[in-house]
Amino acid sequence: MAPVRLSNSLLGTFRAASIRPANAWRQKCLYHSYDYTESPPFPPAESAILSSAYNHVPSHGFTIDALKLGTRDAGYLDVSTNLFPRGAFDLVSYHLVTQRLALKDNVQFPGDGEQGKRMGVGAKALAIMAQPTYIPASLVELAKLADEIWFLAGDQSVDSSWYTKRASLSTIYSATEVFMTQDKSANFTETEQFLDSRLEDLMKIGRFMGALGEWGNYTGHSTINVLRSKGMRI
Amino acid sequence: MSSTILCTRSLACRTSRSLQQPFPDFLALATISRHSRLQSTTSQPPHTPSPPPNAPKPIQPTSHKLSQDALSQTTKPIRPLTPDQRAFLSSALRVNQTGELAAILIYAAQNPVIVRSHPHLRPLMKHMYDQEAGHYKFFNEIISKHRIRPTAMTPIWTAAASLLGWSTAVLGREAAMACTEAVETEIGTHYNEQVRVLLDWSRKCEERGESLGPELDGLVGELRRIRDEELEHLDHAVENDAKMARPYELLTEVIRGGCRGAIWVSERV
Repeated sequence: MAPVRLSNSLLGTFRAASIRPANAWRQKCLYHSYDYTESPPFPPAESAILSSAYNHVPSHGFTIDALKLGTRDAGYLDVSTNLFPRGAFDLVSYHLVTQRLALKDNVQFPGDGEQGKRMGVGAKALAIMAQPTYIPASLVELAKLADEIWFLAGDQSVDSSWYTKRASLSTIYSATEVFMTQDKSANFTETEQFLDSRLEDLMKIGRFMGALGEWGNYTGHSTINVLRSKGMRI
Repeated sequence: MSSTILCTRSLACRTSRSLQQPFPDFLALATISRHSRLQSTTSQPPHTPSPPPNAPKPIQPTSHKLSQDALSQTTKPIRPLTPDQRAFLSSALRVNQTGELAAILIYAAQNPVIVRSHPHLRPLMKHMYDQEAGHYKFFNEIISKHRIRPTAMTPIWTAAASLLGWSTAVLGREAAMACTEAVETEIGTHYNEQVRVLLDWSRKCEERGESLGPELDGLVGELRRIRDEELEHLDHAVENDAKMARPYELLTEVIRGGCRGAIWVSERV
């Protein structure tokens, strides 16, 4: 009997963890309409609990305790935390989603260190996100963030660079996030320098690849045209 | 030996006979699509029924400028798209953008070879290329505006389309035109399918007293225009002896199969 129960509970855990990332994945990069506003990312009850729990994060961190306190504040029973099978990760996910959606309102006013502090999640949240069960969902969220940033930056690429741009930005973003957890400088100035130098590297690589592509294209066309001018029937 | 000669002769006879017929069978598809085009164009109801009293309340448009635009055209509320509808639009528009990229690459690869041996085709090739370039620009804007992921297969389709255009051009004018005919047949069918689905959504929304919104109504119009231009290319290809290409069946079937495969992949990846 025990193996059956074990497999059932394992399956349950797996299902709880896998349902939402699957939905999140499916909703990624779908047709975005300007005729109406998107529906909010969380249902009303979840949103109420998570937002009041979010107020406890500064004192309690991204923990199940913050979630319980938030449930009470929102006027629900403690058992309502069952709405969030992923526990603390749901709180982290709420932070990531709301900050991502708020980005389009903040982007007009490029902030100082305070802006960086708001976006960063901190070492403990990173540790939660790096748990194997939550890695897919975290990666989806990272991809969505990179997509949002490129969209807000007005990027219009429609070829392979769409992928390389998002991949490189995601890499830089996560590297900076990890760097930030070790940063003790005031206002995270070292993180800012780190980010600037990584972005500079990226632009160098981008310019080099662009020049290489242009050279290859030019050489190829010239070769064909020279051969044609020699009378070759190609 | 004699049997092969007979065979080719009978094939040539059949081809020339079919060319003399007033309504040759290779035009069947063009006429079918034209017929359905007429149907689809006239399928919009002239009047709008009032909304049922207990219908689910759709979201009112909130963006100021757009809602004013929408209100000036129609006072009907806009129906938000379901995830399935958004998924359909994403994959269909991704295929459209990829298809137009492939089309301009095919024409660009065919152009120098064809124009050198048949200079009288220069204006036609330029006309078709310019129209495809316009379509490509339109779909590029659409997919970046609506945040649709472009296909990951772009480098492969680029190479394949250039190779297809070049090799059919080297085979001769007829083969190049047969290639155009095959490609435009598939892409015309694909556009027709989209117009049909969008008009179907639109009709269902009208029945509920709602509208799809100005964006999608505009998109249907553009899709119709682009489809008609693609089918015009098909007619040009047929006028320029696409049917005379030597292994005609083999060539068009292989190209059409390739197109369908590419559409299938691009819808997903």
